[in-house]
Amino acid sequence: MFRRTIALVACALCLLLLPGCSQKEPPAPAKKPPGMKLQIGLLPEQNIFKQIERYEPLMAYLGKKTGVGCELKILSRYGNIVDNFRSSGLDGAFFGSFTYALAHAKVGVEVLARPVALDNTSTYHGLIFVRKDSRIRTARDMKGKRFAFVDKATTAGYLLPLEYFHDHGISNYREYLKEAYFAGTHEDVIYDVFNRKADIGAAKNTVFQRLAKTDPRIGKELVVLEKSPEVPENALALRGDIDESVRGRLKETLLKMDMDPDGKKVLERFGALKFIETTNQDYGVVLKYAADIHLDLASYDYKND
Amino acid sequence: MKRKILIGLVIYTVVFLAAGMYVIHTIRTATLNLDRLITLHQVEILREHYLLEIKRVQSDLTLIDTPYERSFDTVVTHIMSMGKIIDACFRCHHSPRGTERLIALKRQTEKYKDALSRVLTIRANAARLAEEEDAAFRIGEELIAQVQTVIAFTTSRLAENTQKAMKDIGRTKYYLYGLLALGPLVSAVLGFVFITGLTRPVNVLLESIRKLEGGDLDHRVAGLKDEFGELAASFNVMAGSLKEQMHKMQRAEELAVVGELAAGLAHEVKNPMAGIKVAMSVLSEEPYFPPEDKAVLQKVIDEITRLEGLMKSFLNFARPQRPQLELFNVNQMLNTTLTFYLKHHAIIAGGGDKAGEGDKAGGGDKIRIRKDFQDIPLTLADPTQLQQVFLNLFLNALHAMPAGGELGIRTSLGDGGMIRIEISDTGSGIREDLIDNVFQPFFTTKPKGTGLGLAISRQLIEQHEGTIRVANRPGGGAVFTILLPVKGEGGTAA
Repeated sequence: MFRRTIALVACALCLLLLPGCSQKEPPAPAKKPPGMKLQIGLLPEQNIFKQIERYEPLMAYLGKKTGVGCELKILSRYGNIVDNFRSSGLDGAFFGSFTYALAHAKVGVEVLARPVALDNTSTYHGLIFVRKDSRIRTARDMKGKRFAFVDKATTAGYLLPLEYFHDHGISNYREYLKEAYFAGTHEDVIYDVFNRKADIGAAKNTVFQRLAKTDPRIGKELVVLEKSPEVPENALALRGDIDESVRGRLKETLLKMDMDPDGKKVLERFGALKFIETTNQDYGVVLKYAADIHLDLASYDYKND
Repeated sequence: MKRKILIGLVIYTVVFLAAGMYVIHTIRTATLNLDRLITLHQVEILREHYLLEIKRVQSDLTLIDTPYERSFDTVVTHIMSMGKIIDACFRCHHSPRGTERLIALKRQTEKYKDALSRVLTIRANAARLAEEEDAAFRIGEELIAQVQTVIAFTTSRLAENTQKAMKDIGRTKYYLYGLLALGPLVSAVLGFVFITGLTRPVNVLLESIRKLEGGDLDHRVAGLKDEFGELAASFNVMAGSLKEQMHKMQRAEELAVVGELAAGLAHEVKNPMAGIKVAMSVLSEEPYFPPEDKAVLQKVIDEITRLEGLMKSFLNFARPQRPQLELFNVNQMLNTTLTFYLKHHAIIAGGGDKAGEGDKAGGGDKIRIRKDFQDIPLTLADPTQLQQVFLNLFLNALHAMPAGGELGIRTSLGDGGMIRIEISDTGSGIREDLIDNVFQPFFTTKPKGTGLGLAISRQLIEQHEGTIRVANRPGGGAVFTILLPVKGEGGTAA
């Protein structure tokens, strides 16, 4: 336990130092001229069209309140987010915990704020789950089965199962499993297991709970085998070279929107109580996770096979 | 007639309002039908567009993993564009059945989008990828079939609706043509009825006026109703009145001729009468006549004297003398006349006690005199004629109060600068049915009256451009009121 804490602190310190790290890859395209819209990336946490519907009102609100136009860009993969900062001129994104750690390390994005869910939590954890009727209950039972990950750049959808395999002495899951694939979204992983397209799945609890709420069969027919520690919920982070005043306005608007009647309505539609300030220290647990499985964030190949 | 005009106006208004409302209604209905048709065609276009969008997405799907594969962003844009079209369909009003179909389409679209999202985000082995793509493609094909069914159904409905709408518009057009033709016709008929209703009575009245003008005073208007009926009644009254006035005028002219003849006769009779009177006087003084014959002669003389007085009065009335104007004070004249009246009262009244100022008696009872003279200006008038008038009025008052009473004389400066003279008594007054006739010549209530006193009085006052009228007093008796203009030297009003 003590060793874990030391490692966590060390990782946090590393993360703080990362922006100045010499291993960081070439900087993103030049700063945009004033008046241009900020392009905000969106991860395919769930069905990409539902994801757009969920975030569009928030972007409109931010644009209206700050005067900084915000345009959403949905991404097909988690890992793409880093590529998009390099090639497509993304100015910011709602990052998952692992993608933030990656993007922070690779392109120097800086986190601003993250939402607090309706159950008053601002974190999530990863789940490994199977169908109740599958008889899979341990790592040993998973041998020769089909595993649905979300993406190589997700904490819940990839790091958790990696650590799970690591903890259970499985060094090469591809050989251990009959099939491993990346469904792309947490939602698809859950439905794949539910619909028997996969035997085992790994996804984040917030999406699991949201689906279980709309489709009670999810909660009844799936059983959770493993949980990861809590990591920060998807947070808004901007490129390091974005103007300080823009960054400040966006952050202030997000943090105060629960006190504004219009903001409250947007939050309600978004499925959150408020936004809270988020810093690099909040991502220590992700770094620890990466360290546990000997994953070097700066050189990590996040592209799905 | 006013009621008829009002009813006519109401009918006109109602007819035109109804016609106007019908025109507005038909135009509105036609516009609505056209709007509906346009909307249906727009919906049709939207559905065709929707179908094209789905086919485009299907094409995007089939191009995945080929050299012609479209970018992720382009595919996402196409899918979202497809989704927006089906959302737009819900903004229009639909029948419950149409809404059901739309909900089914929306549900299938969402299913398609889920499958597409999955295809776009999944990274798996080729078999699984192919399976997911096939699944999405199948859903897409089902959606296309569903949309085509809806399009086929709505196209047939659209054709029916278009035909029906065009038929309605055609029918409306004929109705409007009919209305356009009928409107002026109804107006003409109603106009004819009202104009005839107005001109016919006017023509009847004009015809009657022409007959009256031509001297047919017996002609009367008949057969008219309402206000024209009232006008006809007034016309008939006027014609009757005109006839009566004509008769009166003829009678007056006849009387004037007779009066002239009588005056000439009286003048001719006066001189022989004077001769007879002188002869009778001479004879009555003959000593050899016995007293009883002398008494007869004296009676003849008295009757001749009375006839002379009567003829004098008649001649005064028939040929009044022109006033000899002098400037004098009417108050003074009244006092002089009153003094003369008091002095000769006994003779004029036919005997009895003497009457005196303040406490005089007549006919055995006392006559009180009440004077109320106010300051009045001098006026130009004939003093002799005015004295005759005042004396006549005093005598009338005396005769009206056989048992005594009060003679009131009041002067003042009345309205319009006229001298107002009121002579009143406390007698029995004048019968209301006779009061209008008191100034008529030969009208009298006295057994031996000539009926010329008040007629001459009025004639004399009118010669002075004044007026005289009589009224009964509330407490009993009568009051004569004379109004005389104040005239200065030269005869001009002061």
